[in-house]
Amino acid sequence: MQFIILIIILGALMIWVIVTYNFYVSSKARIKASIQEIGNQLKRQAELIPNLVESTKGYLTHEKEIFAKLSEARKAIVSAIKSGAVQEMSDAGAKLAAVLPSIKVAVEDNPEIKGSEIVSKLMDELRDTSDKVMYSRRLVIDLTADYNVRRVSFPSNIVAKIFRFEELPGIITAQEGEHLTVSEEESKPQKIKLYK
Amino acid sequence: MLNVYEATQKNKLKSSLIVAGFICFVSVAIYVLLEAFNYYLGYEAGPLGLFGLALVISGFMAYLAYYFSDQIVLSISSARPADRKKDFLFYTVVENLAIGTGLPKPRLFVIDDSAPNAFAAGRDPEHAVICVTRGLLDKLSRTELEGVIAHEFSHIRNYDARLATLVAVMVGIVALLGDWFLRSAWGGTSRSNEKDRGERLIVIFGLVFAILSPLIARLIQLAISRRREFLADIGSVEMTRQPQALISALEKISKDMNPLESANKATAHLYIVNPFKEKGHGVVNWFSGLFNTHPPITERIKVLKQMM
Repeated sequence: MQFIILIIILGALMIWVIVTYNFYVSSKARIKASIQEIGNQLKRQAELIPNLVESTKGYLTHEKEIFAKLSEARKAIVSAIKSGAVQEMSDAGAKLAAVLPSIKVAVEDNPEIKGSEIVSKLMDELRDTSDKVMYSRRLVIDLTADYNVRRVSFPSNIVAKIFRFEELPGIITAQEGEHLTVSEEESKPQKIKLYK
Repeated sequence: MLNVYEATQKNKLKSSLIVAGFICFVSVAIYVLLEAFNYYLGYEAGPLGLFGLALVISGFMAYLAYYFSDQIVLSISSARPADRKKDFLFYTVVENLAIGTGLPKPRLFVIDDSAPNAFAAGRDPEHAVICVTRGLLDKLSRTELEGVIAHEFSHIRNYDARLATLVAVMVGIVALLGDWFLRSAWGGTSRSNEKDRGERLIVIFGLVFAILSPLIARLIQLAISRRREFLADIGSVEMTRQPQALISALEKISKDMNPLESANKATAHLYIVNPFKEKGHGVVNWFSGLFNTHPPITERIKVLKQMM
């Protein structure tokens, strides 16, 4: 009888260890996939924006520098996606994000084109594409936070220690620990980067 | 100040406490009713007796409702599928939240009704449906819409349809057993001359439970539904990090005077805001509040404001 109880307890323990182990490995795989998703969204953005701006070219004739910046950002994104590094992707994304406000300002500066349908369509798409990049980052952040919290909290930290699951950096450490200043800048990024 | 993780944890705990309390209550009610059956009619509880019969009936009906919920609801509310070009805002907001949560993109539908409202249905994230009214898309800004859609996404992520089904099955069992007991009490052949005091007490208990427990079970079911609404509100903030957006969306939806034509009592609990307007104050309001599927808007806004 006691032997059977012991077996049941051991079995339950085994199942718990397996489930927890699987949580860590699948989290890692999901985080990897969601980092690829950031690249995917950046690439979509890099292809979409020049096309959109092209379609409004008639309206934005004197904004040559926007087009130059766009093609530069696009190149950076393509090479970042090839390398697959979070840091590089994040940098390339920032480059592209820096162009967005100047497009917005170009539209704001020309009240006569502001109301036109093609421009409002452009603004909608711009908002959408930056949201998509933001949400793909959010997923990496959330998944990493889940993983890291489980890694340090009891009792799942025991399994993490046994199998040596390391802490994952997510997106924050990719910015070299300057997350506070960076996030402050990013809360009002448009103006800072635009007039530089 | 309450951060969103604490708020989630607190609400999940409250929700599981209510569900646990519900399960306890239902078990006691079923036990008492079966005992009363036993003494009153000389019914012997077999492995698949009255309880099994009630479980099968209630389970079968709830399973049908659960499995086909999305189709039933959509056909009742006469919704049309959403289109990326025509409903750009709606479509892209859902796309983005699907990216942000890692869930598959639900199927999207629009009801042509000027009253702003929204609901989610479907048995699991793979079969989820999000439906909004035309009024919602017209009256809300993109950020507000994001708050509403994120609320629906958290219903999907929390498997609220599944929980609601399980709860409904148990409420159904209690209601069926109570009903059967009352029927047999009126017309059945009792063995009243053989009873001692203890047995009589159990029969009286059985009568009380038969009358009251379906009502009480229903009230707890509604409390669970209200708790899940709070949880979905907090989940929405967790996804968008913009409580202000959901607050102003809830205000706009609840202040809107247009009645939602396609909603009825059977589908009302699905919507983000109860399509039948809340009215009344004081004790009457508190009492009618017990029967509401949704917490009052002011209460929901108060919780959201804590997270700002």
